[in-house]
Amino acid sequence: MDKVVNIRINGRHIRARAGQTVMEAAKAAGIDIPSLCHHPAVKPIGACRICVVEIERQRGLQTACTFPVTEGMRVETESPKVVEERKFILEMLFSEGNHYCPFCESSGDCELQALAYRYGLDHWIYPNPGESKPMDGTREYFIMDHNRCILCRRCIRACSELAANNTLGVKFRGAKTVICADGGLPFGSSSCVSCGTCLQICPTGALIDRVSAYAGRESQVERTKSVCLFCSVGCGSEIITRAGRILRVEGEWEEHNNGVLCAKGRFQPFKEERLRIESPLVRKDGRLQPASWEEALDTLAQAIRKSPNKKVGAWTTCRTLNLTLSEFVAVFMGKVGANIGVLELTLARFKLPMGGALNDLLSADTILVTGADPLVDHPVIGYHIKRACMNGGRLIIVSDNHNSMKRFAAQTFPLNEMGKAVKMCQESAMPVVLYGEETPPDQAEKLVALQKKAHFIPLFPESNGFHAKALGLRANFSPGQMETVYLLLEDTTLSEEKIKQARGAKFLAVHATFHSPLTEVADVVLPALLWYEHEGSLYNLEGKKVAVRQAVSLAEGLIPENEVLTQLAARL
Amino acid sequence: MAEPFYRANVLVCGGTGCTASDSLEVIAGMNKEIARRGLEKEVRVVPTGCRGFCAMGPIMVIYPEGIFYCQVQPRDVQTIVEETLVKGRVVGRLTYKAPETYKELPRYQDIPFYSKQVRITLRNCGIIDPEKIDEYIVRGGYEGLSKALFDLTQEEVIQEVKQSGLRGRGGAGFSTGTKWEFTFRAPGDVKYVVCNADEGDPGAFMDRSLLEGDPHSLIEGMTICGYAIGAKEGYIYCRAEYPLAIKRLQVAIAQAEEYGLLGDNILNTDFSFHLHIKEGAGAFVCGEETALLASIEGRRGEPRPRPPFPAASGLWGKPTNLNNVKSYANIPQIIVNGSNWFNNIGTRRSPGTAIFALTGKVNNTGLVEVPMGITLGEIIFDIGGGIPKDKRFKAVQTGGPLGGCIPAQHLNVGVDFDSLQEVGAVMGSGGMIVVDEDTCMVEFSKFFLKFAQAESCGKCIPCRVGGKRMLEILTRISEGEGRLEDLDTIRTIAKGMETGSLCALGQLTPGPVMSALKYFESEFLTHILDQECPAGACKALVRARCTNACPAQVDVPSYISLIAQGKYAEGLEIHRERNPFALVCGRVCPAFCEQKCRRGDIDDPVSIRLAKRHMADHEMENPWTPAKIEDPKKEKVAVVGAGPAGLTAALRLAQRGYPVTIFDKLPVAGGMMAVGIPEYRLPRQILNLEIEAIKRAGVEIRLGQEMGKDFTVDGLMDKDGYKAVILAIGAHKGRKMGIPGEDLPGVYQGVEFLKNAALGKAPDLKGKSVAVVGGGAVAIDAARTGLRLGAKKVHILYRRTLQDMPAWKEEIEEAFREGIQFHFLTNPVGILGPDQVSGVECHLQRLGEFDSGGRRRPIPIEATEFEVPEFILDAEIFIAAIGQETDLEGLQKDTKIEVERDSTLKVSPNLMTSRTGVFAAGDVTLGPATVVEAVDQGNKVAVAVASYLKGQPLERVKFESPVGEVPQLYALEDYAEAKRPVVRRLSAARSVTCFEEVEAGFDEHTAREECKRCLRCDLEWLQSMGLQSQEMKVQSA
Repeated sequence: MDKVVNIRINGRHIRARAGQTVMEAAKAAGIDIPSLCHHPAVKPIGACRICVVEIERQRGLQTACTFPVTEGMRVETESPKVVEERKFILEMLFSEGNHYCPFCESSGDCELQALAYRYGLDHWIYPNPGESKPMDGTREYFIMDHNRCILCRRCIRACSELAANNTLGVKFRGAKTVICADGGLPFGSSSCVSCGTCLQICPTGALIDRVSAYAGRESQVERTKSVCLFCSVGCGSEIITRAGRILRVEGEWEEHNNGVLCAKGRFQPFKEERLRIESPLVRKDGRLQPASWEEALDTLAQAIRKSPNKKVGAWTTCRTLNLTLSEFVAVFMGKVGANIGVLELTLARFKLPMGGALNDLLSADTILVTGADPLVDHPVIGYHIKRACMNGGRLIIVSDNHNSMKRFAAQTFPLNEMGKAVKMCQESAMPVVLYGEETPPDQAEKLVALQKKAHFIPLFPESNGFHAKALGLRANFSPGQMETVYLLLEDTTLSEEKIKQARGAKFLAVHATFHSPLTEVADVVLPALLWYEHEGSLYNLEGKKVAVRQAVSLAEGLIPENEVLTQLAARL
Repeated sequence: MAEPFYRANVLVCGGTGCTASDSLEVIAGMNKEIARRGLEKEVRVVPTGCRGFCAMGPIMVIYPEGIFYCQVQPRDVQTIVEETLVKGRVVGRLTYKAPETYKELPRYQDIPFYSKQVRITLRNCGIIDPEKIDEYIVRGGYEGLSKALFDLTQEEVIQEVKQSGLRGRGGAGFSTGTKWEFTFRAPGDVKYVVCNADEGDPGAFMDRSLLEGDPHSLIEGMTICGYAIGAKEGYIYCRAEYPLAIKRLQVAIAQAEEYGLLGDNILNTDFSFHLHIKEGAGAFVCGEETALLASIEGRRGEPRPRPPFPAASGLWGKPTNLNNVKSYANIPQIIVNGSNWFNNIGTRRSPGTAIFALTGKVNNTGLVEVPMGITLGEIIFDIGGGIPKDKRFKAVQTGGPLGGCIPAQHLNVGVDFDSLQEVGAVMGSGGMIVVDEDTCMVEFSKFFLKFAQAESCGKCIPCRVGGKRMLEILTRISEGEGRLEDLDTIRTIAKGMETGSLCALGQLTPGPVMSALKYFESEFLTHILDQECPAGACKALVRARCTNACPAQVDVPSYISLIAQGKYAEGLEIHRERNPFALVCGRVCPAFCEQKCRRGDIDDPVSIRLAKRHMADHEMENPWTPAKIEDPKKEKVAVVGAGPAGLTAALRLAQRGYPVTIFDKLPVAGGMMAVGIPEYRLPRQILNLEIEAIKRAGVEIRLGQEMGKDFTVDGLMDKDGYKAVILAIGAHKGRKMGIPGEDLPGVYQGVEFLKNAALGKAPDLKGKSVAVVGGGAVAIDAARTGLRLGAKKVHILYRRTLQDMPAWKEEIEEAFREGIQFHFLTNPVGILGPDQVSGVECHLQRLGEFDSGGRRRPIPIEATEFEVPEFILDAEIFIAAIGQETDLEGLQKDTKIEVERDSTLKVSPNLMTSRTGVFAAGDVTLGPATVVEAVDQGNKVAVAVASYLKGQPLERVKFESPVGEVPQLYALEDYAEAKRPVVRRLSAARSVTCFEEVEAGFDEHTAREECKRCLRCDLEWLQSMGLQSQEMKVQSA
């Protein structure tokens, strides 16, 4: 139980927790102290000074974001002296760069602009700067305009504290100070991993998303709290849409990913170039032709009915939501008695504990990674591990292959020396074990010794791998021996090898979002939803059930996969 | 290992300053010479740290006698060994000379630079060999540490430091003992002691001197601190730019470790303490404690908000005590001698001493350690030896680039943490930069601001942006682009920075600007309103310093170059554009131009006045008729007063076609030029030549017309149809002294006496003894006139000193030469009668505190048992010349014209009085001034009157600076060695017998050659500003 301290803010009596800053205490009491450089997700640095308040018995003004509350403290947050200083700071900021709002993408959503409104800055006092700073457009997904940068350094702290990438910093001094990457490289050639956390945390229009720029202001858009489906971390996200058009994705600050997403989840979906399947297709006269749902489902049902149970095969991606997975099992195993399975590995062969949380990583003193390369496949996990390393945590990698996390590791062992790694974990206070599919079973067994001590995080390849495993689904892909095959791909793609195998089936139904070489050879093609069209839930790798929300209404003719399966079941 | 006994120790400074002036060669040479003579066993050469008197380096002190040699060069080595070390004689030419008397001061303790100093912190600097720990130990070194370890508990050490009242010498002045206590009390097993040796102030080098001259005092202080607060490790954060300091620290640490005074189990106790040196990369902001700690940790040196303070969470998050080098260096002595000893030095709230790096426009630059509470004046004038080249003290900047400037009126401020803050400056790390009249305060504050804003770390907005904006505004002002609202904007920014910045760098950045604005606002306003830089320092505004210094803005370089070419008529034309009195000013002008002449920075200023006199004299046979520059007009203008202001105004208006009449109550025209300046300086017929020229321009002069009697302002305007009146009635009324006997016969006012003499109505002085009181031009003129009227003896009584006399130096010298007896520091307190003057009762004075003008105020010497500081001077004539004011009698009935408290007329910036249509110019608005200043006023009032008569708006009268381009037809290098010629004068024996002109002019050759010494700053300026004409470019190519 935290100690309570009594303070007064603007004369109001407030009970705050010891250790809280004035800003936090005020916020908890519903008192708004403006901030610019401060963001709850990163550590306060007291740089912008906009949150200055008057504190009794303190010389000058103090920054609310850094000043701890003490018993009996009296604070004034909007006294004339404070307001005068804030206006001054705003005037200074507006004199420093190109803050000519009508031309800025962030106008309307800009924290600087909002403060200028709040404090009534109605004209320029200082002339606009003559010289302009360069822009940097070398990154693929977003642009840096130094002229709109207020040097709040949120991006730097997001980069180092959240993404643990330490790419960003400042160079030069005084009025020449600028944000830089790796001491002065173009951002695009730097160590930046394009996680976009800086973009998301920037309070002004200095960082601009190439896709969503100028496409809509906060008041014009809708936000849908959802979950990223591009790996099993299941990062909390918000999908931003305007009039049914998706603009961008942001990480959810309050979730286990702490607002961080990776380039895979944040930007790459917007680079989608595959052709969307807009209606069911049925092969007629040797050619795939648009058909009604009824016709397509009838054709599929007929094919299933015609084949013996043992000759019906159904496989689904683990990216599907819980309801679809259950429906898939119910229809194809329960009703048809078919061969069913999943398209990706599910760590099914491991008898290891699960349930470790991302937060466990941050407090871990030893982290063992084996059979996986989190920075590549589960980047946000990778960032969390790096954060832990920066705070003194020790990373041990057990792998025979190249691993992009090796340079952060305190120790690297070949797989056959798993025992040594296990011993190190046993000797530490708070170990966390992350294991992936590439761990050989005999080595994995050695990890069992840690099951009482360590938190275990399974690194499923796909977003709902946890549930797929729980449902007992296995990656037993064998369509070649089947007469009728149903593949639920959604927006995943199959390897050429698998496509070759699938071609062996007499009748192939593909339920997918995009056209692909596989759909071309299918007999029935059913359109599936896109990632932001789903509504439902899944289990992330922590084993936590999370809600996936539909961000746009479905186009005519689209039916969620679980309903499609239900309708199919009705025909069987 | 015992050292042999030496009969002489030769201490040679090996500090950075002296090293730069070849002290290492001197040391090597001495060793060689001593060896050559086989004196190695008798004489030892000790390379020491800095002795502070860097202006005089390299410095050598020979003990046991304490013989002080300065500016010793390698070539002097043989002489020193032969004369002093072998024969025991002092080498006179190497000794320090007293600046006033040029007397040799061979002994260290007699040199004024040292005699007022108290050396505690620097006590070993310059005395010991800093690379030998034994020398430190012999001087009592490490006694403090052993006392702390064996006799005192941790708490007792802290208590002692607390009670000593030692305040942080880094500049903030926080109680050192309290800081130690905080760190001691902070929970945690690991604690650190950190020393801030990141001395970043430009020009400050006291930390450096201490590190180089006495590194063990720091090591001992830090070790004691480590013991007191419970730390086992310490860091010295020293700038990498101090290689010698770092080397000596390394040597000292190694020696201390070897002696068991540092490292594990110090002095065989349980206490262990290790020291590391961390080199800083030279960021000014790393002097801020949290930035310094960040830098030690390997992060970008930027401050962070406090709390938490380093005492709670410092280096790597551990409790850390951070002090300045000087703070630690004081500790051993406080521990050894006790807090009471320390308490008794300095002031109650700021005990101990302060160290200043005295630089700038002061004779003795260097490092001085003084007890807290000593006045600024004492430091600058007694220790510093005053301002070079007889220039006027203007201000002193304390506390480095974040400090503030202090003007002359605060020279009595005691130097301590609190007093300096009260006057808007700070103690800071101890920089003290003295500036004289040639420094522009806009430029000066801009200089510091430029530094501070560039050194801002860029983290917080007020500092990062505020400094830049302020610099832009100041730059604008210094380039003549300032706006009136700029000053308010500067104040707004300053306030925002002071209250809102994260660290002291931002909070104090506005200091220099704000203090300059506080004390020198008018100088800023002159830049803004007149686009002029009075000090002649702002490049964009100053085409040539001479022209800038001239009140009438005469284009000096152009006419000087024309004289060089023998083109006198053209030169005069340029001169007369601004000043019609070339003949007069060639004789009587105090030549403000020469005082600022850049040639004077090299050797002596160009003899501008005498060159001008030659140019004007050349024309005498062929008198000038001023040209008309506008068509005739019918609006009549009346000018009251035919002095230089009135005559100039009348001339300028007449040239513009206005009918002008001058009224003057005297029977002669010329005002003070005729009846104030005696004939031996300005012959009447010379003056008349120029008055005649003005008459030829169409000006009518009516003499013997007294305002208030023969005419009134009302009458002129209402009855006589004058559309405008210019009052140029001067300041002809002498100030009373207010002492007994002033009404006795034989008492005269200086101005009145001179006027009567000029008009042939002088009292009979033959064989009489005359006492003149005052130090200005009138006093000197009256005294010399008295001599010429046959006085037996003439005395000048002045209550201050020769240096303080406002009179023109050459005039004072002439007076000396003619045998006038000066009595300085002498104040007449009564005129003795009974029926007429029989003597003057005088009281001797001494110099006390500084007055608001920066001069020391004379105060009466108190009588003692042995001495009565009074005397009676026999005199039959008493002339008071202590100042003049305007005779306002003629205006008494005119209530529309407002008068200021000092009896000048109140005028607007366009020189109009409070009565519409009535203007004023000259001494009546300025107070007693010079001819050239009156001419300037005449020019300006004419412009204003013309605008008024044309119905144009009356704006502040400004003149564009001249833009002529006279080519330079000779090579400057040929005149590099040329010397300023001396002008011939009448012999004193002859001059005192008549009113003949004392000074002869130059002959043609001398005049023309002298003009070629001019450096032609104007051409350089045109070129640098890109304003040079095409023609000139071709010529110079």
